[in-house]
Amino acid sequence: MHAQAAAQTLLMTGAPESRAIAAGQLARQATGGDLDAFEELVRRLQRRVYGFAYQHLRDLDEAYDLTQEIFVKLFRNLTRYDVERPFEPWFWKLAANTTINYRRKRVPVPTDQSSDQAATGGGSPGAAHDPVLVDALAQLDPAYRLPILLHYYADLPLEQVAQSLNLTVPAIKSRLHRARAMLRNSLAESEEAGVQ
Amino acid sequence: MTALACARVRVLLEAYVDGDLALTDPESAKAVRDHLSSCADCRRQHDQAVSLPFRMKALRSPAPPAFLVANVMSSIAPPPRASRGAWGLLVPEALLGAFILWYLSGLDGLSALASGAWSDLQGLAVWGSGSAPLPSIPAADVLLLGAFIALMTIAAYHLSVLAKLDQAATTHLRQRHRA
Repeated sequence: MHAQAAAQTLLMTGAPESRAIAAGQLARQATGGDLDAFEELVRRLQRRVYGFAYQHLRDLDEAYDLTQEIFVKLFRNLTRYDVERPFEPWFWKLAANTTINYRRKRVPVPTDQSSDQAATGGGSPGAAHDPVLVDALAQLDPAYRLPILLHYYADLPLEQVAQSLNLTVPAIKSRLHRARAMLRNSLAESEEAGVQ
Repeated sequence: MTALACARVRVLLEAYVDGDLALTDPESAKAVRDHLSSCADCRRQHDQAVSLPFRMKALRSPAPPAFLVANVMSSIAPPPRASRGAWGLLVPEALLGAFILWYLSGLDGLSALASGAWSDLQGLAVWGSGSAPLPSIPAADVLLLGAFIALMTIAAYHLSVLAKLDQAATTHLRQRHRA
């Protein structure tokens, strides 16, 4: 009930700061064993987490599995969350670690197959609205793709991306610059190939 | 010279676009700006570098499946108390069943019980006709009756718990099937 009331307030405000505060409040309540609060937290985060997982793995089923794994791990690790600290960096660090470990044990999916699935696998019609960029992202090394997705897709500030990946802010900046340069080159190559 | 300059500019483009280059190395930032004003190829790359963050922020993903939250919650929820109760109930049931079996001692016990019940009924009939006092009931029979009633009550409750579990499992399976 408290969780739903908090969610109502949140929907009315909608600002990113208040969203962060509300997510932290829900996490605090969930830490005390409030399953309703945890459910609301999952509901709140599911779109970003699933989108992040999908952009990283390019496969609907795998994105679903990874999303579920992230949330189950979140629940199991809630007791380790320091309620005095902001929730989002802690959560995304956990999400990033889970993603890295998930990739290690995962059988790679060929890019063509995942692209086909993305186009026909029951996702939203806009799933591949920028296919050239999506393909370029898929070709990036995960060490570069992860910071890109955390910063631009999950909308985390640089400091939080750095905390999530256990790196310094300058190191993250450097990776982002390098990743964007690689993407830019891929896009330029695709454009050239398209022109020819 | 031009090719080298282009290569250098393209390495610096992202830092230039973010404004970091102007802070850390203003001279290089100015050199990049000057180069861009005269090189169409690098200007195209610059435009690409400027638009890239916006394109990435605008990337859309499929919506999460509707059953995601329900499935997460069913994975993390502690085993329902009903299921623990269902297993726990087996203990008194087994004890009561063993006691009754021991008391009845197989077929001999059953025939003894039947003849005892028959003589009790006869005694009651005689008492009903007014020619004899109310027959006394052996304490062991009262104990057996109590154990039997307890077993039936626990078994009925057990059945209701199992029915609830079955219902929950069916709902879960239906959700999975719909998924």
